[in-house]
Amino acid sequence: MYSNYLLIAWRNLLKKPLFSSINIVGLAIGLMSCILIMLFVRSEVGYDQWIPDSERVVRMHTAYTVPGRADLRTVRSAGKVMPAARDYLRNDIEAGVRMVSWGTTVRRNGEGFDDHVLFGEEDFFKVLDLPFAVGDAQSSFSKPNDLIVTEENALRYFGRTDVVGETLTICCFQGQPIELRITGVLKDLPDNTHLNISMLVYMDVALFSSFPGVLDTWNSLNVYTYFKLKPGVVLSELQERWNYWLNNESPYVENARDFSGDDSITQVTDIVKHKFMALHDIHLKAHADAGTMGDFTTLGDEDMVTTFAMVAVLILVIACINFMNLSTARAGQRAREVAMRKVLGASRMQVAIQFLIEAIGLVFLSMSLALVAVELVLPYYNQILNQNIAFNLLNDPALLVSLIAVVLVVGIGAGSYPAFVLSQYMPGHTLKASKSNDTAGSTKLRSALVVFQFAVSIGLLISTAVVYLQTQNANNMDLGYKKDQKLVLGVRVAGDNVESLQRQLENLPQVSSVVLSSEVPSQDNENNTMFTRPGVGDAEPVTELLNYHNMHFGFFEAYEVKPVAGRLFDEAFGSDLLQPATEETEGQGAVILNISAVKKLGYESAEQAVGSTLRADFSGGMTNFTVVGVINDIYFRSIKFDVRPSIYTNVPGRNRVATISYSGNPATAREAIEGVWKEVVPMEPIHLTDLNEMVASQYQQEIAQMRLFTAFAVLAILVSCLGLYGLAAFSAERRTKEIGVRKVMGASVRDIVLLLIW
Amino acid sequence: MLKLNNLSRIYQTDEVETLALNEVNIEIDKGEFDAIMGPSGCGKSTLLNIVGMLDNPSSGEYWFNNENIAGYNEAKLSDIRKKNIGFIFQNFNLIDELTVQENIELALLYHDVSASERKQRVAEVMDKVGIAHRAKHMPSQLSGGQQQRVAVARAVVGNQSMILADEPTGNLDSAHGQEVMQMLQKLNQEGTTIVMVTHSPAHADYARRTINLFDGQVVTENVKAA
Ligand SMILES: Nc1ncnc2c1ncn2[C@@H]1O[C@H](COP(=O)(O)OP(=O)(O)O)[C@@H](O)[C@H]1O
Ligand SMILES: [Mg+2]
Repeated sequence: MYSNYLLIAWRNLLKKPLFSSINIVGLAIGLMSCILIMLFVRSEVGYDQWIPDSERVVRMHTAYTVPGRADLRTVRSAGKVMPAARDYLRNDIEAGVRMVSWGTTVRRNGEGFDDHVLFGEEDFFKVLDLPFAVGDAQSSFSKPNDLIVTEENALRYFGRTDVVGETLTICCFQGQPIELRITGVLKDLPDNTHLNISMLVYMDVALFSSFPGVLDTWNSLNVYTYFKLKPGVVLSELQERWNYWLNNESPYVENARDFSGDDSITQVTDIVKHKFMALHDIHLKAHADAGTMGDFTTLGDEDMVTTFAMVAVLILVIACINFMNLSTARAGQRAREVAMRKVLGASRMQVAIQFLIEAIGLVFLSMSLALVAVELVLPYYNQILNQNIAFNLLNDPALLVSLIAVVLVVGIGAGSYPAFVLSQYMPGHTLKASKSNDTAGSTKLRSALVVFQFAVSIGLLISTAVVYLQTQNANNMDLGYKKDQKLVLGVRVAGDNVESLQRQLENLPQVSSVVLSSEVPSQDNENNTMFTRPGVGDAEPVTELLNYHNMHFGFFEAYEVKPVAGRLFDEAFGSDLLQPATEETEGQGAVILNISAVKKLGYESAEQAVGSTLRADFSGGMTNFTVVGVINDIYFRSIKFDVRPSIYTNVPGRNRVATISYSGNPATAREAIEGVWKEVVPMEPIHLTDLNEMVASQYQQEIAQMRLFTAFAVLAILVSCLGLYGLAAFSAERRTKEIGVRKVMGASVRDIVLLLIW
Repeated sequence: MLKLNNLSRIYQTDEVETLALNEVNIEIDKGEFDAIMGPSGCGKSTLLNIVGMLDNPSSGEYWFNNENIAGYNEAKLSDIRKKNIGFIFQNFNLIDELTVQENIELALLYHDVSASERKQRVAEVMDKVGIAHRAKHMPSQLSGGQQQRVAVARAVVGNQSMILADEPTGNLDSAHGQEVMQMLQKLNQEGTTIVMVTHSPAHADYARRTINLFDGQVVTENVKAA
């Protein structure tokens, strides 16, 4: 019986190869897209779940939200918070750990390697129970300065992983290189974690407490704080208990009002927010909660993941509609077979089962094709997304089950018309009529579905176009400065040699200028400080928390930024460089504002701002800054964000990057610059990047997103078109007899075409 | 074997109501060979479909083997039908995707018959109608007469005691028509009850009784002397 079903299904397939392939391939494309997207979505959603007890691990984020000032949000906490919380919430918290992450250079065999060190307190492994390759948490992480490296890092420095007992020299800790002994080796972390660990060092708490603003502070936000909760603790209740502490028992209670200068503040949590975020949520939600500032790795984008999941569902829906439409149209032709089977004694049930088996078989065929396609496409897909998603169906019961569910649901959906509608007709009528049995209702439904399908495809296409235009816009928009023919060189590691480096670089024939600054566009910072514009006459003083960058002489000239009022920094005035405050005198300096800062500080015009004074607690004392000039807003950050009100200072010693303007071939310029670097700072690796690339890299995610959107939109439309083509071919075929009769009656080709498309 | 009492069939469509059968009374005994004749649209097919349990009467009684089956549900009818009644249609109604052999076997699929017995019975019946040499052919590769022979084989392979044939020769030339009629006659002689709709007086002549329908009513019944 069943072999007869399969036989007839197979013969039906072969009878109309074009139609069958359209049907199967269309669904396969849809399934492939859906699987690919869902693999990505699942990988994004599943971050950090591999960590043992991860559902009990939380991280504390901090936000300072003082009315009238820019919010400060970060994934880090103040150093004193962790012990306080561990003590106050001792019924909820099993263990807590503070961590500090430092970029560093590892010296080995006369060469320098960029690396970073994570200092973690003793309970690190009680909170984050990461698996060891060599050693274990008790023995390998037991005393200050115990160093644990990952397998990858061990291979990098030693070419083997069995490296316990070896030492690494790290540069520098309080200005001195230190040697650390390796006591354990961690297994490499999988890709789906927000953690980024290369070297983990047992934190010397006594030593770190002596640094200002790290462990011993209620305000500076420099440590990562993680807790492991006791089983059964409800996050929202924990949060409530902690908020109670903040509002009633914390040291913030006393100075909250002073801190804000605002009487409307009634409780600490209005301005100081501590948020416990579940480890599972960090990858997708930390960004929205705490901004991009200071996390270990690039975080995921929840909106993007949601959008992709929706696209996946839409594509699947389109492909299924398609498949069902074609199957239904085709089943109409088999009304006679159904009737005949019933005449011969088949029950409705048997007919239904036959068509369901047939449809499910077809879907299964599509699914197999789709799986092969996923396997083939995955490497490229990973490349575009910059991911490392694995696809291993047999070790993945959840995926297997959902794919089987899809096969069954789509199969039953596609088979339902012949199985449940065709099978119910009394066979007599159907058999007499030689034409196929296609009810008006089913045709109407089919048209509606086609319209829906195309509406969705067009919607996808429009979204693609929007994303595309946005990224184009980002690449071509006037950012307020010139970014061509510039290389950016990291000079922090050059230390005292910066000036000689600058001089030697300027002597290169390819180089026209070398200017120093704390950041260049595309490098964000979170340097904010309070600037006060003193009141004049009746006017109230204005105090604002403003973002500031440090620009040395010549910076704006090199970037071709012109002042809209006043002037740029100029060595000739002799007063532009900061004179830091001393114990007796206040500091003196000059600043340039952007237009947004002019507005924020309440000036009526750029001209009014020029010549006025701003006061700030800066570099160790109260400092008076004279506003020497105003420039237009320039996009330091991605155009996704508004330009912040910014103040540009000119402080010696705060410059970390040099912008090198060059002419001619970039490769030659690069080579010459590298030559100079090797001479002046031989021990340090060079960091030289094209500014254009740096700016473009801010949009990498958007570009990847756009590419994928385009690919999937195209696929969706392809599937829709295949389906429509199939339906059209089908109806043309069904009407060949009618066409024949009409032609005999004298209809022209044009009439026939009109007939078919109408 | 079967008896129709005051049996009517009304077709309801959107606007019109058609009285296709109007208070028909017919009795058919085992072993009969009946021809139903009448102008197009007089209700012949409707009558045959109801007799064949492919359709339900609107009113009246249908006694089949001493059981009033009027109003039985589809599943029950289907069960009675598949054991007792075989069908032959004007347009053959073979399934294009199946070979001759498979088409005939289809009639046994829904009976409780083992695969080996199916093979054997299909082979027997193909011999009987003289189509064995075409067993592996598709219907489209056969002539009309051959197709109808396959249809006859399919109608009797389940040992059905009655064959209902709706214009079985309507699509055939006279030579092939003749062939099919002789086959039906032979089946009748072997005991199969045959009820056949036809327009051809010559073919009606094979039957022992001719029922003339007009406008849904039986107008005359002619029984040939034995
Ligand atoms: N399914 C149907 N719906 C409505 N009217 C029908 C249907 N089938 C048949 N009829 C009508 O019933 C009458 C009898 O039809 P039918 O039994 O097919 O006639 P015959 O086979 O004698 O040509 C005709 O008037 C026909 O139009
Ligand atoms: Mg008829």
